[in-house]
Amino acid sequence: MLGFSDPWVFAGFIVTILSAVFCVIYGALNRNRGGIEKEGDFREEIQWEREEIELIEKLP
Amino acid sequence: MFYLITFTLIYLGITIYFSYLGYRRTVTVSDYLLAGRQVHPLTMGLSYGATYISTSAIIGFGGVSALYGFSMSWLSFLNIMIGVWVAFVVFGKRTRKMGKALDAHTFPELLGRRYESRFIQGFSGLMILVFMPVYTAAVLIGISRFIEVYLNIPFSTAYLAFLLITACFVIWGGLKGVLYTSAFQGVIMVVSMMAIGVTAYWMLGGISAAHRSLEALTPFVPEALKQAGHRGFTSMPEAFSSVWWYVITTMIMGVGIGVIGQPQLNVRFMTLKSDRELNRSIPFTAIFILFTTGVAYAVGALTNVYFHNTYTEMPVQAVQGNLDKIIPLYIDRFYPPWFVALFLVSLMSAAMSAGSSQFHALGTSLSRDIFEQALLKGRSVAETTIVTRIGIVFSIFATLIIGLILPESIVAVATAFFFGLCGATFIPVYLFGLYWRRGSKAAAKASILSGFFTSLIWMLLFHEHESAAFGVCGKLFNVKCLAGHPWNMIDPQIIALPISFIVFVVVSLLTRPVREETVKKAFVHI
Repeated sequence: MLGFSDPWVFAGFIVTILSAVFCVIYGALNRNRGGIEKEGDFREEIQWEREEIELIEKLP
Repeated sequence: MFYLITFTLIYLGITIYFSYLGYRRTVTVSDYLLAGRQVHPLTMGLSYGATYISTSAIIGFGGVSALYGFSMSWLSFLNIMIGVWVAFVVFGKRTRKMGKALDAHTFPELLGRRYESRFIQGFSGLMILVFMPVYTAAVLIGISRFIEVYLNIPFSTAYLAFLLITACFVIWGGLKGVLYTSAFQGVIMVVSMMAIGVTAYWMLGGISAAHRSLEALTPFVPEALKQAGHRGFTSMPEAFSSVWWYVITTMIMGVGIGVIGQPQLNVRFMTLKSDRELNRSIPFTAIFILFTTGVAYAVGALTNVYFHNTYTEMPVQAVQGNLDKIIPLYIDRFYPPWFVALFLVSLMSAAMSAGSSQFHALGTSLSRDIFEQALLKGRSVAETTIVTRIGIVFSIFATLIIGLILPESIVAVATAFFFGLCGATFIPVYLFGLYWRRGSKAAAKASILSGFFTSLIWMLLFHEHESAAFGVCGKLFNVKCLAGHPWNMIDPQIIALPISFIVFVVVSLLTRPVREETVKKAFVHI
């Protein structure tokens, strides 16, 4: 088992790699989902962005 | 020294350029209309990863892995599954939508507006302002320990010098281009960590051979640790022993779960334009975490083989018990000088990317959450800029003092402390705020206060690691801590988080929910 005799440690090592693989597969399968949400109405985003810039400007 | 100066100058030059680029890209709203703020998934992934993973993970948790071995691989699993997938998919998507709908710009503001409470925003901001410097100090201690070993100078000098560099970076425009600089810093981190991972396994004859060599060192585990439940560097500690409780509840779950409540990370989701960007950045972030924390914890454990084979002593003995010096000493002794200099630059990247995001969160907590919302009742005034600057200078000063008074082997402990505290305080209100329309303002207040104070009380009176260090329990009751085994080893978050969850649900069912129109507004895109 990759040099580990403790199955729990072996499992920890494997699930770490599998979780990264899972994230890659999830991202690949959903890469085109959630693109357009409000049919080109960006008023809310623009308002948010304006406020964000104001906030950033107050930082050093 | 030649390598260090060359690499540092190149690094600083590129960082300043990216900082300028980021600054230019954030100055006009029209940039946004022209899609100038479109964030590439790779940029988002690297930037999020570099903010999440700091010197604390590499130096602090790498050192802890040298002591507890591969049981820490469960932390890298949680770093990816909870810190990336759950954070992005379960929390990130709704955070982005709700953040935009409520026009929230900080994490405390999201909670405050969701529950219509200035108190929640102000209290959360205050908690961040008071306790985040502990984590910032841990990040800076991480790199300072490396500088101490590499340049052979006193720790306090290294710490002061690096804090000064970070302060200059923050004060002269570093915060405005955080996204781009941290993405660049992320590239350096992942490349150097991959190099360390590959060489560490390669020099020991491959993955299985390296693990077998480590397993052969089981008899050399310090006797005190063996008696406390340590069963070797390639085994989990004995179930329910002192070491088991400490490794599982503090080291693995403290950071592994607490990441969800991290304000400087949650705020990143709000800057994205769509779920698509979020979906696309998940693979990059996950791979980044695998190659940084996964490698750091594995190499941390393998340092035992290197030190034992070369010096016939264990790394923990070589550093006189200071775990924070194990990774620096390993890199310094087993790698060529040019690589050591390059690694130091990558640590600078890790410290600066996490540090600048922390100072960003500290600055906005003070200016927006505490000053404008809690104290001025929502008014925006010109003096905010001055208050923010004073606040950031104050937090740099607080970081300085905390860093100099904290004891040795503290980087991972201080990180777990802050992550655990944020987890217990914020996770229930955050989760229910995104998913449960019935949650009430009173419940949110009660949950935050119960999570926060239960954590603090548990730390000061029951959890042996902190209660012995702070000494409050000793002064009040003349004992190190009030609880016996196993309670004295169970992390505060494990006790406080269920309490704050239960408090939220019970109080919500007993009190008036948040106004219908606010809930509708919050959930308008969901």
